[in-house]
Amino acid sequence: MIKKYTTLLKAGVMEMLHFRLSVLVLVAGNMLYLAVIYFLWKAIFDSAGTESVNGMTFESTLIYLVLATALFNFMEMYIVWDMGRTIQSGKIVLDLIKPMDYKNYMFWAFSGNVAAQFFTTFLPTFIVVALVTKGAIPLGTNLIAFAVSVILGIVINFNVDFIVGTICLYTESIWGINIMKQVIVLLFSGATIPLAFFPEGLRRVVDLLPFRAIYDAPLTILLSINGITDDVLYTIAIQIVWVIILEILSRGFWKISLRQITVNGG
Amino acid sequence: MDNVIEIKNLTKEFKVLNRHEGIKGSIRDLFSRDYKTVYAVKDVSLNIKQGEIVGYLGPNGAGKSTTIKMMTGVLKPSSGSILVNGRIPYRERTKNSQEIGVVFGQRSQLWWSLPLIESFKLLKEIYGIDSKHYDEMMEFYGTLVDLEPILHKPVRQMSLGQRTLSDILASFLHNPRICFLDEPTIGLDVAMKSNIRTLIHAINEKMNTTVILTTHDMGDVDALCRRIVIIDKGQMLYDNDIDHLRKFFGAYRTLKVRLKGDISENVKEIGAVLSDRDVTVSSDDEWISVLVNEDKCRVLDVLSIIQKDHKVKDMQLQEISTEDVIKKIYTEGV
Repeated sequence: MIKKYTTLLKAGVMEMLHFRLSVLVLVAGNMLYLAVIYFLWKAIFDSAGTESVNGMTFESTLIYLVLATALFNFMEMYIVWDMGRTIQSGKIVLDLIKPMDYKNYMFWAFSGNVAAQFFTTFLPTFIVVALVTKGAIPLGTNLIAFAVSVILGIVINFNVDFIVGTICLYTESIWGINIMKQVIVLLFSGATIPLAFFPEGLRRVVDLLPFRAIYDAPLTILLSINGITDDVLYTIAIQIVWVIILEILSRGFWKISLRQITVNGG
Repeated sequence: MDNVIEIKNLTKEFKVLNRHEGIKGSIRDLFSRDYKTVYAVKDVSLNIKQGEIVGYLGPNGAGKSTTIKMMTGVLKPSSGSILVNGRIPYRERTKNSQEIGVVFGQRSQLWWSLPLIESFKLLKEIYGIDSKHYDEMMEFYGTLVDLEPILHKPVRQMSLGQRTLSDILASFLHNPRICFLDEPTIGLDVAMKSNIRTLIHAINEKMNTTVILTTHDMGDVDALCRRIVIIDKGQMLYDNDIDHLRKFFGAYRTLKVRLKGDISENVKEIGAVLSDRDVTVSSDDEWISVLVNEDKCRVLDVLSIIQKDHKVKDMQLQEISTEDVIKKIYTEGV
């Protein structure tokens, strides 16, 4: 039974590595983006004139954002694109007539990408940051908590994507919806601007949304100096709650929507 | 023999928005509740036995794919009932899918960038095919087609023919009791068509798999099907053996010629010289078509009669098409 899933995962890794050039382009594009972040935030801190802004130094902001970008590139599954495309082209019929739950199928088929992306994007960035900053990233028990938190973050991200992908069943267009989703997730998850910079009111709203649990949670855990503290456990607990809520929501929404297609045709 | 598919009074209707023209119309459509009901399939009843190869024919938009989608459980019928292997497909889609195989000629279920063998391995796990059966199937496939050049080739680099062949092999891998082949020979050259027909025939014979074949190519039907079901505009027109159909239609062929000189003059003249031959002469654009019943009169005779008085610039010989068959059923009945 489990072999089903691991075989799908393996195929995903192979598929990803098949496109060698695209991996290179991704790495190069990343470098460019990181350079932009560097100069942008340097200008912000220079103009502020103080050592720290909102309790974060230039160095800690940069580490946060570089790792957030690496995390994004590693955890992004591009599920919405794929679901949208298969729905538009009608290929989804072929996926539906596999003797496998569609959601599980999608998760495992794309987890291969994530595994490959871990080695091609996150790990190199992580090593470089750890070497350059000489000890800004604590290397202790927090890494174990980080691993757990990342996996939960991936599941949450997948669920959000799956819900948005399901919306494509109704709209039959993908581009706009996907861009909107991406902007919302990146902003509210703290991947573009550290959450510490958000105004108080907005931060309270962000705390009620699941997006924080995708990138900000594992990142905070990774950068926490004191190993596994109560705060870390609390963050992970919140993530687990979001996993459960989103699992139920996405499955329910998919089930209802599927009835829609089987009645109205795809 | 048991029926593997039982369809009774099957109907599928869609509600379609009445669209209006222009920008104004498009904006109005956003809020419109003006639906009309379209019947994709209307009151179709059908029983299919284990091991049959059934040709499911009809023009584009006749409702063939809709029927197949209902049999696979992707669509729910509006009324009437379907039993596939004794199950209601849309209620038990996952279980049902374990015992059916599907090929859509224009889409591939294979993993695009991976070598074919990896797709096979994935399907082996997804369908839970045991290793013994898998090895047997691969060995059997090896006797039917030359697997060597395709097995380690990424699917996206394959020719259309190789891809279709691979898709068909993939859909039979888990030994389904029924396989739906939706226009499998579309866009293929003559040699590949013949390969694929041989393949389908061999698998059907060995595994006793029921095959439902939709196609526009009467050649496929001739080579494979004993029984034919024809639908048009969602309604069943014909369900009987192919021999019956052949007897009824005789051996019709259409001879098309392009001649030098004025076309309407030529049509008149040819009509006159062939008037005692029981053929139908018609024309479109610059082609003159002569519908010949080969049981009564040979095509070559007709051609030589035409050639006596006219210079033939170009000629074609056409099998009767499904569209012609349907037209004839409408005008003359079965």
